[in-house]
Amino acid sequence: MIYDKKTAIQRNKLTKSLRSFFEKEKFLEVETPIMVRIPGMEPHLNVFETDLIVQNKRTKLFLNHSPELQMKKLLGADFGNIFTLTKTFRNGEIGGNTHNPEFTMLEWYRVKADYKNLMKDCEKLVKTLAGKSQITYQNNKIDLKTPWEKLSCEELFQKYCKISLDQNRTFKQLKNVAKEKNLDTNFCKDWDDIFFKIFLNHIEPHLGKTKPTFVYDYPSTQAALAKKSSKNPFFAERFELYIGGVEIANAFSELTDPKEQKTRLIEEQKMRKKLKKTIFDIDGEFLASLESIQHNCAGIALGVDRLFMILMNKKNIDETLLFPLNKILN
Amino acid sequence: MAMTTDIKKGLAINFKNGTWLVIEAQFVNPGKGGAFTRAKIRNLKSNQVIEYTFKAGESVDEADINRRKCQYMYNDGANFYFMDNDTYEQFSLSSEIIGTDKRFLTDGISCYAMHIDGVPTSIELPPKMDFKVVTTTPGIKGDTATGGSKDATIETGATIKVPLFVKEGDMIKINTEDGSYVSKAN
Repeated sequence: MIYDKKTAIQRNKLTKSLRSFFEKEKFLEVETPIMVRIPGMEPHLNVFETDLIVQNKRTKLFLNHSPELQMKKLLGADFGNIFTLTKTFRNGEIGGNTHNPEFTMLEWYRVKADYKNLMKDCEKLVKTLAGKSQITYQNNKIDLKTPWEKLSCEELFQKYCKISLDQNRTFKQLKNVAKEKNLDTNFCKDWDDIFFKIFLNHIEPHLGKTKPTFVYDYPSTQAALAKKSSKNPFFAERFELYIGGVEIANAFSELTDPKEQKTRLIEEQKMRKKLKKTIFDIDGEFLASLESIQHNCAGIALGVDRLFMILMNKKNIDETLLFPLNKILN
Repeated sequence: MAMTTDIKKGLAINFKNGTWLVIEAQFVNPGKGGAFTRAKIRNLKSNQVIEYTFKAGESVDEADINRRKCQYMYNDGANFYFMDNDTYEQFSLSSEIIGTDKRFLTDGISCYAMHIDGVPTSIELPPKMDFKVVTTTPGIKGDTATGGSKDATIETGATIKVPLFVKEGDMIKINTEDGSYVSKAN
């Protein structure tokens, strides 16, 4: 292994300016746990499991894949604007240029805000960290001047595939229209599968190449913790930020209605069962804390290693890490 | 034609009217979606590399290719010449087809030739190979400007980034895919 001190110094600088950015914006930094009893319910994510053993009594614990539930509990306790910089873990994903099973996640939550406020935060944060209005990533010049490009999922499917998601809301409709356009839907078992197969092959490679791009208003089925759009509840107030073709962050206007949240968690729990994934309990404390959230709020998770990879112009995420698991296992 | 659901590195597939070699395969859960396999595939005739994302568990048509052990002999700039280990038959591949692999080719090195319909179309190097360091500068302690690494030239003439403790004459293991230093070789 080559331990690259130059990159480590560069990374340390970025981490410091990231913290000072949120300090200036008057956010409180909070520490969230790495081991939890109940992780988030995302149906498709695989978790790392461990056991706490006290006098022969075993308690199952999981390595957190997102500090989201903990952060919202703090919002319910009236903490105001908060952020956390923590390690998160995803099982079953390794290799390629953008994955390490253990990664650094930045999450921040704004009260009296919606996802549009978070877009502004992203613009300001990345510009501050870059320290200039244009960066070069793998020979592509990326213009950071604001406002950045904003395209809804509906617009993107229209632009690159001439398909309307809104007018093809059932599996059968979407499959047929994809077939008409000669798009591959092999092995897709539901509407979301087709969405992703098309998105990954025909849309994602174009995103954020010359300017960072916000992809917003995702289908509600893919945003279990987000508020549905008031204009069209088929979509939810969620966005993802892409820079240089890489997905960097995922944000929501937070759903704070405990009843609707419970219904959605039960659906996701069923889905996990169906997919033969580890089943978690529904976090009652999380649901209860939603009730005491006074204002609209919005939250975002940002992959710090990925953002640093772009800002340091590294081709592979491993180059931003001193101990990438990929290389250690190789 | 065999079908397989196991899209992994080294698999050859028939896809989009061509024969492709999977050079990288990665499982991903995009956003809030199900499992997909993001593959980087190389066309065995044109050497073109593309990315394609398959649904995890999707069946693909496995191509009928033959991997045969061979030995690299020499090149004349435009073409690289090899000999089949079993038949002793010689064949050549163009410099474009060899691509960046040429930096690891030195007389007598063994590798694999990929045959489609009996014709050698490309080569595949072992994922890791040992090379001797021919020249490198002595490492300077505490030199952070270089990022803890320095250049070393190996016997093929290629230049590789190595840790500061590597000396001339050392044998080192190199990842032939990205040309990175792995470890000292024993």
